[in-house]
Amino acid sequence: MKTTNLKSLAAGILVCSALLMLGTGPAQAHHSGAMFDRSKAVDLDGVVKAFQWTNPHSWLQVEVADGKGGTKEWSIECGSPNTLARTGWRKGTFKSGDKIKVRIGPMIDGTAAGIFVGAQLSSGETLGEMK
Amino acid sequence: MKLKHCLLLTMAVACSVAQAQSPAGAGFNPGDYTGVWRMVGGTIFDRSTADPANAAAGQPGARERPPYNAEWEKKYLARIELVKQDKLPDPISNCGTPIGFPRIFNAPDGYEFVVTPKQTWILTENGPNTLRIYTDGRKHLPDDFIWPTYTGDSVGHWQGDTLTFTTIGLRGEDGTIVDRTGIILSEAAHATTQIRKPDAGTIEVKLSIEDPTALTRPWVVTKRFTRIPGGDEIRIMDYACAENNRNPVAADGKTLTLDSKGQVIDAGR
Repeated sequence: MKTTNLKSLAAGILVCSALLMLGTGPAQAHHSGAMFDRSKAVDLDGVVKAFQWTNPHSWLQVEVADGKGGTKEWSIECGSPNTLARTGWRKGTFKSGDKIKVRIGPMIDGTAAGIFVGAQLSSGETLGEMK
Repeated sequence: MKLKHCLLLTMAVACSVAQAQSPAGAGFNPGDYTGVWRMVGGTIFDRSTADPANAAAGQPGARERPPYNAEWEKKYLARIELVKQDKLPDPISNCGTPIGFPRIFNAPDGYEFVVTPKQTWILTENGPNTLRIYTDGRKHLPDDFIWPTYTGDSVGHWQGDTLTFTTIGLRGEDGTIVDRTGIILSEAAHATTQIRKPDAGTIEVKLSIEDPTALTRPWVVTKRFTRIPGGDEIRIMDYACAENNRNPVAADGKTLTLDSKGQVIDAGR
């Protein structure tokens, strides 16, 4: 797990966090987003366990090395499938077993979860903010 | 009768029927509302007074400037504090209540505006929710019949390209929640709203909200909507808030997060 506090990422995080709340982009809010830390960007390298293409939010489940020889499952919240589909996502965008790097706005309380900001697939293709 | 005369007669009859159905009597010329639309500017209800200007609803400390009197400004400040604690009560988070009026003009995801001479329906994908506006000449429900609801009772009329309607019968403090900065209105709130299309790609909704209990003057807010581009794959889909709601709200108002097995994973819970 890599944590960054780069200014260049701040705008992206702000945008993506804002998208969650504003409803202007791929992440849509059906609930408060106050649990997410908007000042941090966390990059996770892991393997997709599942991609729940569901309402009111899609969820990306990723197994990430825990530094103790095992793995920890992270829950990453994305937008509704309706809105994601209108921005190019598909139900098969992530498949179980895909190796990915995913960037999240983490939970403030340190829980293994966060809001989706961007991802880089093993093919090199990127989604969201991964600059 | 020649074909040309037949067509002219048919058009004249159709036109007179449409005008007769519009109580304004000034024509019914709404323009093209077809397609799927989305709100511009995010779910801050009154973007013109947002502080900070780029605030997101739910962002701790974010606020707007509804013309509250001192008592309701105090209520708003208390709710802003609840937002900071992630404990703002918002019934729609638990997928059980309508988004209501005027918040129906403040929803994310897609919109449809179904315009007919006698009724206009505003359908939000999120929720989903429906606002029905009757334009067939009927009046508001009488005092002995109406009761407070989330969406209220809306009647109006078309005048050319503009729909003007009034909304009464709102639920008040526990149900007329305007957005997630914490804005609420009282049961005395009512509104006059105008909808028109200033250009082919824009729907403009201008609300003038009066609330003698909570506001010192009418609160005028303009919301705009733009058509979602794309082909015929752009359509309203199920939203189904309860399908996989991994963010239920606890009894103390805090939004929880569940793992993929449905277990609460928030620290300390």
